Formats: sequence, C-alpha cells, structure tokens
Amino acid sequence: MSLSIHWQLDVAAEPARNEPSARTALPGLIRDLRHAGQNRFDYYAQVAQATAQTAFDGLYLPFRAQADETRIVASALAREVRGLALIAEFPASVGSAVYAAKQAVTFQRGAQGRLGWAIAPDDAPNARAARGDTVSDGDLTLRLAEFLTVAHGVHSQRPFSFKGDFFEVEQGGFADPLNRPAFPPVYLRGDSEEALAVSARHGDIHLFSATADLPSSIAALTALAEKAGRQVAAGLLQPVLARESDEEAAQDAARLALPPGTLVGSFDTVAADLAVLVALGVSHIVLSASPQLEEAYRLGQHLLPRLRARLAARPIAA
Amino acid sequence: MTIDIFWRLPTHGCHSSIRRASNDRGDWSVTGAHHLAPGLDGAGEEDGYAYIDHLAQIAKAAESAGFQGGLIPSFPMTDDPWVISALLARETRSFRFMIAFQPGFGNPVQSAQAAASLQRASGGRALFNIITGGGGPAQLWWGDSFAHDDRYGRTSEWLDVFRGVWEQGDFSYDGRFYQITHGGLPPHLRAEAFPEMWFSGSSEAALEVSARHADYYLSWLEPFDQLAAKFARVKERTAALGRQQKVAVRVDLVARKTEEEAWRDIASGFDNVSQATRDSWRNQRGDSVGSARQAAVRPTEATHWRDLKIAPGLWGGFNLLRGGPAIGIVGSYEQCAEKLDELIALGADGFILAGTPHLEEAWRVGEEVLPLLGRHNADLREAAE
Repeated sequence: MSLSIHWQLDVAAEPARNEPSARTALPGLIRDLRHAGQNRFDYYAQVAQATAQTAFDGLYLPFRAQADETRIVASALAREVRGLALIAEFPASVGSAVYAAKQAVTFQRGAQGRLGWAIAPDDAPNARAARGDTVSDGDLTLRLAEFLTVAHGVHSQRPFSFKGDFFEVEQGGFADPLNRPAFPPVYLRGDSEEALAVSARHGDIHLFSATADLPSSIAALTALAEKAGRQVAAGLLQPVLARESDEEAAQDAARLALPPGTLVGSFDTVAADLAVLVALGVSHIVLSASPQLEEAYRLGQHLLPRLRARLAARPIAA
Repeated sequence: MTIDIFWRLPTHGCHSSIRRASNDRGDWSVTGAHHLAPGLDGAGEEDGYAYIDHLAQIAKAAESAGFQGGLIPSFPMTDDPWVISALLARETRSFRFMIAFQPGFGNPVQSAQAAASLQRASGGRALFNIITGGGGPAQLWWGDSFAHDDRYGRTSEWLDVFRGVWEQGDFSYDGRFYQITHGGLPPHLRAEAFPEMWFSGSSEAALEVSARHADYYLSWLEPFDQLAAKFARVKERTAALGRQQKVAVRVDLVARKTEEEAWRDIASGFDNVSQATRDSWRNQRGDSVGSARQAAVRPTEATHWRDLKIAPGLWGGFNLLRGGPAIGIVGSYEQCAEKLDELIALGADGFILAGTPHLEEAWRVGEEVLPLLGRHNADLREAAE
C-alpha cells in the first residue's frame, strides 16, 4: 500500500493576498507596477507550484461557497503544474450529473487523468436555499447516491439509462474517445455512520477528520465496504503545525488558534505521529497549515522527507 | 460602428483539410502515423500530446490573427467548453472564450460562481452562447426531459438567477424552476464584469427569451433576405422591451486566392463524403427550428456538389463535410469579404467565422479576408437606401 500526500489549497484562505482590491497599497513614493491582471489565480498557481516542487502528490481544494469555484481553479492550474493530482471539492447540487461527468472527462483528457472529485458535505438548509438547492434534508443522501451513480454510469456504460428521483437519463453514455480516461477517484468525507455507509457504496477514498477515532472508524468503513463488495481507502484531513523543535512548535501553537486535531511538534515528532496514522491504515493524507504558500515549502522540505524515510524504513504492509 | 469577429474552437477534433472528413487531429478517429494531438513521435511511440494542446494552438492563432476569441461548441461527443476555457485561460492573452451552454445543465448559482471565477482566471474573457437544446434524443442523452417551450422558460429563469446573484449581494427569487433565498456571490466575485450573452434559437420562444436577456442574437447563415427579416424581428422585439440587442452570424468560409480554387476544394470534399454520412444527412431530426430553417432552403438529395449551390457564393452542404450548420460562404478572399460586407449592410454586428482546418484557416482568414472588410460596405448601404 502506498501513501499519497496532498496539500490543501483553500481558495478562501489569505483572502487579501494578491486580491487586487484588497492588497496593501504601497506608499506613494514607491513606483508600483502591479496591475489588475495580477490576481488570486497567480497566487493559487504559486501555491500549486510550491506543492509540486516540494514533492507533494496532489492539491486538495475544499469547496467554498463564498470564493472561487474549485473546478475552475483546478482546471486553470492544470496545464502549468504538471504531475500534480488536483482534487476539487464541490457540492452534489451543481446540477446535471451527466454534465458534471462530461466536464470531468474533458479535464482528464486535457490533464493526463489527474482530477479527483471530492463531494462537499451538504450545507445547512439556509445555505442550501441561498444556492437554489431545494432538496430536503431527508433526500440529500439519495440525491448524492443518484448523482454518483449517474456520473459513473454515463462514463462506463453505453447505452446508459436511469430514472431516479433526481436524475433521469435515456440512451445516454459517453462514446469513444470520451470514455477512455479513468473516472476521477471520488473522495467523500464525514465521520458519521451515515457518511461511512455512503462512502462504502459510492466512494473511493473516505476522508476522516483529524478528530475522528481512526482505529474504530477505519474498521467500520472497511466492514461496510466489504459488505458492499467494494474497497474504500481511508484518508485523513490533517492540520499540522511543525517547527524545528518541539518547544518552538508548542510556543507557536500557544499563540495561534489551531483547528481541532492539529498535530503539533518538531518535524521529527510530526513525522512519527503521521507514520503511526499510516500504520493504522491511512493511505491518503491531506495536510493543511497557514499561510499555505510558506507552509507548503516548510512542510514539503522538512516534514515530507522525514515521513517518507520512516515509511521506507518500516514498510507498511510487509 | 465596429464589428466583433470571433473564430471557433472545434471541440470534437479537426481535420487537416476540408477535402476529407476524417478527424486526423484529436482522438475521435483511429490514430495513425499522420494524426496529431495525440500523435506518434519519431520512434512510433505515443507523443504525449492531447487534443487540448491543439486547441491551445488554434486559440493562440486566432487571437494573434485578429479574432476577439472563439465559440466553443458543446455536444454529446465533444469536450466541454467550460473546462477548455479554464485550461487555456492562463496561456492565452486576449482570446475571449465563448462557452456554448444549455442553462438547464448547471445550477445557476454554482454556474455564476464558476463564471465569475473564470473571469478572474482569464482577466474577464469569458462570455456565453446560451443554447436551449435542439430537442430529440440528444436532450434525453443529457438527462434533460423538458419539452421545447418549457426549456425556454427554464432558460429565462436561469438567466434571471445567474444575473441576480451576480448583481445583488442579497438575492431571492421564486420561480417555477428555481427558488433562491438570500443568495448572492461574494463582493470580490461580483466585482467581475458580467459576461456577455450571445443567444441562439430560431423559434418564437427563443426570440422572446433572447429579447429579454441577450446582448447578441446569433443566427446561422440563412439566405440573406430571410436573415434580414429575422434580424429585423429580433431588433423590433428587443426595442419593444426598451432594450437593444445586436445580431451576429455564425458561418464557415472556404476562402481561397481564387474562386475556382475555393470551389475545387468544395467539389473534392463533396466527392469524399461517405455513404453513411450522406444517409444521416438526409434523415436529420430533432425539434430545432434553426436546423429546419436551413434545411428548408436546400435540396434533400444531392448527387453533385453544384446541387447545393443555393445562391452565388453560398453552399448548403457544409454539414456533409463537418458537423454544424449547412450553409457557408465559398469564394475568393475578395468575394468572401464582399459577402461579409453584405451581411454587415443587412445589420450584422458580429460574426463567428470558421474554416477547416481551424488552425491554418484562422491565420488565412485573419490575414487575407479580414483586412478587406468594409470596402464594399458604404456602397451597399447607399444601394440599399
């Protein structure tokens, strides 16, 4: 079993950075040649380059209702950062499952099959209503299941027909060459029993939160997947604060508001902690830290080599 | 007055000559030694290029040769125009991405968020060709079972919402197809220019929605008198709503140094059409009024390319040579420019031009035809008065 290590690019983080309307003006005595054409996308590209150049395996873009659309961001970066997986999260309320699958196919064709599909957990009812999503609470799981069934169906079968509560297709399915690239791996998340059950049937990688009880959660996921006759990989959304020493990390942790479950410590300590999680069966880790450009370099240069060296010394599934 | 001229990105492959319909650019037909994007390298191995690399070439040629941008069509067998636009946004400079889109396929709020992001990625170069679907089997292929006129109602509401969340921070809407409660894009996305809307569709329902929402009404080429009447109808309807709408023509050109050379390519292309293509050409279906209007003016059977000459310089068999509209312009550079001038005189404010192969023809039309535009215009206007 191999380990994939991704970096989180949160399009809503560091909101003033390279946002032309929000960046700090330079004093008048300095000639400022920046123009409106330089914007957030240059920053995203820089984070993506940092991620690629420091040997992460991919970039994970969580869905943000009040910021740039993640699939557009992933596509805009794809051709200038080669080799990096681009996992874009979006809600199942995006519209036609056929259309979403078709867009995924074009991405795969244009970017050598590097797309990942992460489906965002459903928002609260009022946030859904603001996006024109009128599906009731009780129907959300069914809508997600139908969305993924149809998206997979049109990609893998021809003709494909389906009549559900939310989606309907007749004589559908992609023809050659659109059906050639692999369907993007589907990432789902949530620590609840219901979330695990959906992943067991429709997901490829289930992303646990950093506060989940991993041994029992992974066991539950594996059991549910086996019952469905499938395999689902265990992944982890893991915030980290890693510094040269444990003391320095503890000092920084004390003055920062860290997300729950953040791993805090020296590069060696955090690498050891992550290796323990990998030994529990985690095969996909999405690391996150702020600010995301500087931390991509810090962790890419100092944490990843230590983690990989540990895993190489003690092969996981020997 | 200035005229807006776009090119087209072929989204299901291209061929190296109008004379042969086999797609030897892109992977829509079996790859051979003469194919490219993807193709084979000198050692006979796959060269690693993908069709998007060829589309990038066409977009760069078009923006360099004088076109504002290009229409990016969307059909069941094509790549997707949103993704193509985003993939190419950062490596092109002035090319405007005209995304063909059927509004029912995307949640309007998510679509507005994506469009605003695309504006940010491209420096405001996204615009839309809103289509509502030709009906028939293709709509069900897409998972869309709405009836023709219902689809126009949905398009209209979709555009209300798409614009509403873009222009208002707090937007609510209670429609038949869409309901939004306190929606709205965040300020930094709303600050982007609202994308231009080009609207297609020839039915009454289409013209009505277009009059309310479109900046440009886009028509395939039809015989000029028929087209002039349609343009007049569009402008009249729009004026009645206190709005203004421009009109544009989507048309292919076979422009050559001499007229004889142009028709020779048509003749050769016609002779190479396969029997299967001829058969499906005879039996086109769907509930698209636009297709029917074009079909009505050309013969249903043709044994010789001359049978499809429907007027001087107009040929009605382009859809035998490649997918898309039937009627196109054929002639010398001078004659092609004259035809475009005539259309300008009839009221055309813009064009989406195309030619096969799209890459080389972007340069040819940009270098040889566009510089000749406007020479006949003043005369024609006087003649028309």
